[in-house]
Amino acid sequence: MTKFRHLICTIVAATGLMLSISHSYAQQPDRGDEPGLIPDDSVQLDPEFRKQMVFYRTNEPPGTIIISTAERHLYLIQGNGRALRYGIGVGRVGFQWQGLVNITRKAEWPDWTPPPEMIARQPYLPRFMAGGPGNPLGARAMYLGTTVYRIHGTNQPDTIGTAISSGCFRLVNADVVDLYDRVPVGTKVIIRQKPEL
Amino acid sequence: MRTFRGGLLIGLVVAAAVAAIAITYERYDTKTLKRTIRRGEVLCGVNAGLPGFSIPDEKGNWTGFDVDFCRAVAAAIFDDPSKARFIPLDANERFKELQNRKVDILSRNSTWSMSRETNYDLYFPAVAYYDGEGFMLPRAKNIDSALALDGSKICVQDNTTTRLNLADYFRANNMKYQEMKFDKLDDVVKAYDTGKCDVLTADASQLYALRLNLSKPDDHVILPDIISKEPLAPVVRERDDDWMLIVKWTLYAMINAEELGVTSKNIDEALKSKKPDVMRLVGTEGSYGEDLGLTKDWAARIIRHVGNYGEVYDRNVGSGSKLKIPRGLNQLWSAGGIQYAPPIR
Repeated sequence: MTKFRHLICTIVAATGLMLSISHSYAQQPDRGDEPGLIPDDSVQLDPEFRKQMVFYRTNEPPGTIIISTAERHLYLIQGNGRALRYGIGVGRVGFQWQGLVNITRKAEWPDWTPPPEMIARQPYLPRFMAGGPGNPLGARAMYLGTTVYRIHGTNQPDTIGTAISSGCFRLVNADVVDLYDRVPVGTKVIIRQKPEL
Repeated sequence: MRTFRGGLLIGLVVAAAVAAIAITYERYDTKTLKRTIRRGEVLCGVNAGLPGFSIPDEKGNWTGFDVDFCRAVAAAIFDDPSKARFIPLDANERFKELQNRKVDILSRNSTWSMSRETNYDLYFPAVAYYDGEGFMLPRAKNIDSALALDGSKICVQDNTTTRLNLADYFRANNMKYQEMKFDKLDDVVKAYDTGKCDVLTADASQLYALRLNLSKPDDHVILPDIISKEPLAPVVRERDDDWMLIVKWTLYAMINAEELGVTSKNIDEALKSKKPDVMRLVGTEGSYGEDLGLTKDWAARIIRHVGNYGEVYDRNVGSGSKLKIPRGLNQLWSAGGIQYAPPIR
């Protein structure tokens, strides 16, 4: 069941990638996933993307997650006008979405099964990869509603602050572990995009 | 004879009344826009040197948040942001120089307060930057709320409202602190940097600038709490409503632009937009610019030459600057802050 879900996530993501491929290449060189790459934990995030308590005014109740894709920030609402803010990597052009969802499932060190389409594009990808430090999904994953997207860790910490994913939201492993322990299944997640012209 | 004397009296009274009205009328300047256009540049009173807000380089090029606001007004009027001249004014002379018509606008980190509007015949059109008193302390203390500062030793500058606000805040929250006060800000910072106190308090925008000069800037955090109100606003002379509206809506155009996603980079795309609120902003619908005494594309000019509110913030004091002040209160109302502009319609 778990593998099946991963497969679906990656298949849909890859299909989307095919559809918007010319677009995304124009916008941003595709760095691609690097399975097996052991994350360099000494990578120092830009101050803007380090976990920190910030002022944030909202009517949403404490415990709600608000993701601002334009800012590359994920806010965990604390109440009293403050939020815990994490830096994230977001979907590239063609992989942006917004909405209101709930966390439906949580997994530690999730496995990864890239779909055939993705393997066709990146032949070096493994057919299956067990969860672990070299896995592109990183240390934790939180599934978003019935969508194929999730909040997960990464083995490419230097991609935080960029828009290169297939629509998922990535945090550095230390942050995703921290967030994972703070939010239960059922947590409300609001994803906001910048307005269109 | 009687009628003649009566007529003379009435004549004198009328003449005196007319003269009084004329004098009163003269006291108030209502021609700032006309004069600015004739002169060909906007005269801006600015701070002589405040990193992030207004500071000249060796060649005399001014940069900063307050400087950019003045350039935005120049862009709206002349379609050229360089048609702004910067005149450094110190805190004591700033309001007098504005009243004496030495400058058209003060864009000089001035706090909007009631008495400044009522006592000086001045008007603060809108809040450009919400500042307020904050706290800096060593990261290692692992404190993330001002309410956890009970029992701290706090460094503060003497003879400031900062010191009074500090006392009020701790009393209101039933907390104790030990105060270390100094006459000079430099001494406050030195005492904090050498560990003589646990916490340094000053206006938040100042704390970020002061942190840059500490021996290990990265070892210090600034709490998100703001305990006082220091709304920084541009200032104009009272009763010149046409000019006041230009200054006010220049700022609101920049805030609305950010909310609508219009930036200096996509302004040409925005001019082709079919979204009604974008069209009203950039002037492809309505005559909002003409109603201000400017042109249809007044706001598009501002955005093209200077940028929207977020761009100006990031470049000068935010993530794209050395200061790296989080948006906080100055984030849009729809994204966690309180910056809110009335609609253009």
